[in-house]
Amino acid sequence: MNVTLFGPELYYLGLALVFFCLSLRRTPRVKTDYRIALVLAGVGMLLTACCLFQHGYLFYKAYRVDLFSQIFKFALALGLFLVLTISHDLAHIEERQQAEFYLFLTTTIIGMMLLVSAVELLTIYVALELSSYSLYILVPLRRGDGIDVEASIKYLFIGAVSSGFMLFGLSYIFGATGTTYLAELAPKLTQLTQSPIGLIGLLLAMSGFFFKLSVFPFHFWAPDVYQGAANQVTAFIATASKVAAVALLLRFAALGAGYGYGFTKALMILSIASMTLGNLVAIIQKDFKRMLAYSSIAHAGYFLIGILTLREAGYIAAVYYALAYLVMNFTVFMVLSEVAADGRDLKIVELGGLYRRSPLLSMNLILGIFALAGVPPSIGFTGKLLLFTSAMNSGYFWLVLIGAVNGTVSLYYYLRVLYAAYFKDDPGLGPIILSLPSRLLNYSLAAVIIGFGIFPDRIVELAKTAVHSVL
Amino acid sequence: MTEHMASFPILSCMLLAPPAGLLLLLCLRDDQKFLIKAVSLVAAGISLALAIYTFVAYDRTLGGLQFVEKYQWVKTFGITYHVGVEGLNAPLLLLTGIVIFTGVLTMWELESRTKEYFIWMLALVTGVFGVFMSYDLFMFFLFYEIAVVPMYILILVWGSTRKEYAAMKLTLYLMAGSGLIIPGILLLYSSSGLQTFDMIRLHAAHFPYWTQRVAFVMLFFGFGVLAAVWPFHTWSPVGHVAAPTAVSMLHAGVLMKLGSFAILRVAMYLCPVGFHYWAQLMALLATVGIVYGVFVGLAQTDLKYVIGYSSVSHMGIVCLGLATGTVDGLNGSVFQMFAHGVMTALFFSSVGFIYDRTHTRDIHQLGGFSKIMPVASAFFITAALCGAGVPGMASFWAELLVFIAAVKVYPVQGLLAIAALVVGALFALRVVQNTFFNEPNSKFVHFQDVSPFLGLPRMILISVLLLFGFFPQLMVGTIKTAIIPFLQGM
Repeated sequence: MNVTLFGPELYYLGLALVFFCLSLRRTPRVKTDYRIALVLAGVGMLLTACCLFQHGYLFYKAYRVDLFSQIFKFALALGLFLVLTISHDLAHIEERQQAEFYLFLTTTIIGMMLLVSAVELLTIYVALELSSYSLYILVPLRRGDGIDVEASIKYLFIGAVSSGFMLFGLSYIFGATGTTYLAELAPKLTQLTQSPIGLIGLLLAMSGFFFKLSVFPFHFWAPDVYQGAANQVTAFIATASKVAAVALLLRFAALGAGYGYGFTKALMILSIASMTLGNLVAIIQKDFKRMLAYSSIAHAGYFLIGILTLREAGYIAAVYYALAYLVMNFTVFMVLSEVAADGRDLKIVELGGLYRRSPLLSMNLILGIFALAGVPPSIGFTGKLLLFTSAMNSGYFWLVLIGAVNGTVSLYYYLRVLYAAYFKDDPGLGPIILSLPSRLLNYSLAAVIIGFGIFPDRIVELAKTAVHSVL
Repeated sequence: MTEHMASFPILSCMLLAPPAGLLLLLCLRDDQKFLIKAVSLVAAGISLALAIYTFVAYDRTLGGLQFVEKYQWVKTFGITYHVGVEGLNAPLLLLTGIVIFTGVLTMWELESRTKEYFIWMLALVTGVFGVFMSYDLFMFFLFYEIAVVPMYILILVWGSTRKEYAAMKLTLYLMAGSGLIIPGILLLYSSSGLQTFDMIRLHAAHFPYWTQRVAFVMLFFGFGVLAAVWPFHTWSPVGHVAAPTAVSMLHAGVLMKLGSFAILRVAMYLCPVGFHYWAQLMALLATVGIVYGVFVGLAQTDLKYVIGYSSVSHMGIVCLGLATGTVDGLNGSVFQMFAHGVMTALFFSSVGFIYDRTHTRDIHQLGGFSKIMPVASAFFITAALCGAGVPGMASFWAELLVFIAAVKVYPVQGLLAIAALVVGALFALRVVQNTFFNEPNSKFVHFQDVSPFLGLPRMILISVLLLFGFFPQLMVGTIKTAIIPFLQGM
């Protein structure tokens, strides 16, 4: 066994141990802990970037390291680092629990990293549960008025139910094919195209990831969890967690290629239901995080558009959009957590006067929101258009039409955010002072959103090489 | 179409001058107002100079696509950066340059949130230049959206009269249009099987009958929203009234032309069979738009509403010209895009100046305004004459060409449109009379007339109108080099 293949995972395991030791301290030292966490997460990100082009198998071929998994691992490491950059002031988490906040974030990341590399059903299940359980603990860490407990219980229950579905589906797949290795499953499932057992098994098995991605009908947790969890935890759930789910859905959906229309039709219904429901309900939201939750449900629908094409172009678009989504959604959450520095839930109207309080933040809010809405020149626009292009190339005319109409609907509530930030009179609050690292973070996010939106070629080529191993 | 590569990237410079100015503006402080305006003016000036250069240097005997630049952009999806100039877009690039340059001059007195204003305005104009010069569908659509979205913020922050309603209505209408355009474009892309967004290569693909019909109608209505095709015009008068002066200028002068240009360049060029199938409908909607615009517009008492509805009717003339599918019709149509752009810019620019001083645009309140501000009034009156199609003005020739073609191809609609315009001209003169030659309103007597510097942008616009009014061949000759191959290709 080549240990370097397992490098990123081992590093984060060590990181978890460090945080565990920090959490044992009798008197917490918040500032020191934060610095340690930020630096170590940054190192981890660089390390994962160095491992980008490794490939090989581990653990009796249950664990595969290739460009696909490494890209997603890098995205996860980046997500952790970004979330930590906005965690300098964890106002709503007890001081003595802050080390645990870092600890559970790290274990979630380990779980997700295992998840994107796992190519064997049981490994996938164990990795998924590892990441889920850590999140179940992170949600109620917030010191609140009970809203956090409600959120975490909903999260736990719906998560448990979807895990149940998933196990049930996995048992069908195993029963039908007699193997748990994805590589061996693919040809055997293709032979089963006439019987529904494989199809049902596959769809049920995917429900675990539908839950993570908040696809209809596994979306009910999203609004409450987004609102109930601390802003930083929500940012993490909304970015890193989604990316991991997309990676696994791509792997699993490829198995359904043999089922042809029946399989894609099921995904198509889920996609249309998710984006329509998400966009329509988002319109009436007043709480910023709840609105973003519904926007994430809508985006789950967009992701499925790329996934259900089951072709190279669609997969490339989905990978590109997943990376784009990580950056643009994080940008919005960064603005949110800077504006609500005391950790409260932010109403949309409370963004009022942001253009005067902090022009930089309001500029980034515009960029992030425009990217989510798919307005050029941003990664969101390019990603969405690539998704639609691939779907149209596979002949899904109506799906593209519905997606495009949904884009228009979504613009209404995204513009309301800008309306509040740019036009609403400010309630006399002082300017928001950003530290130098925050400003640098702002500038680099803006550069990434516009830069990779205008010059997507580099990422598209990388994604192209990566998806070869999946299809 | 023959393509002649550029020896020097003139078009890229024209396209990149506004964003370069935008980046410079980002580095300035908000209180350096003069510097902000100067930087914007220089950026706009560079674009204008290059646009004039390409218009003059375009080789008419050579024809085809000139100053071409082509680079690979996203290989996997066949997206290229492909820009060029031909007879169709050379006038429109020139128009954009003129309107943005005079637009910056018109907003010289702006004091509130100056920096942000010019940033958004330059972003918008980048999109407009991009659309007019792109020969790649993906890029075309990208720039189209860039041109449309900043309007929301521009109207919301600097607008007047029901601006929240107008901004949201305008944005949602235009985005709904985009909702039709995306599937339309992608349908063409995927059914060609060529894996390219290059318009010239897609043109050669000869799409099946049904694809053309479906794609054409989607693209026509999608782009038609921006071209204010009746019945999707309702956002436009409201939006024009609410927008600040220079934005109205850009919007009515240039942005609406994006819609009609896109119908010509994308819908008609790529789906000729679809065009022939839907041409009757196009002509009908255009005629309704002309008649409707004239009559509704002249019942208004707010000067900006009058202009807003006259834009609807003038854009109807553009569409009618396109629907004829003849050399004269298309020629007149493109000429009308140019002439109407300059004319509306002049309209809004002069109304903006009057409104800044008097804070009213009500016809009866203004009364005999020409006795108070003769020069400022003269600007408006010139524009009104141009709108009425008086000989010696650019739009006279444009409308003449369109109507000659329209009467031949669609006699009933053509005659109706002409009748509407004649009636419209009568009413237009009454508006002018009521606004400028009645008893002066005593409230406004103390106002100074426009200074030479502030009058400069309107002088430029008037001289352009007169130049092409007396020498229409300058414009028609260039447009013609593209129209004939264009129609042969259909």
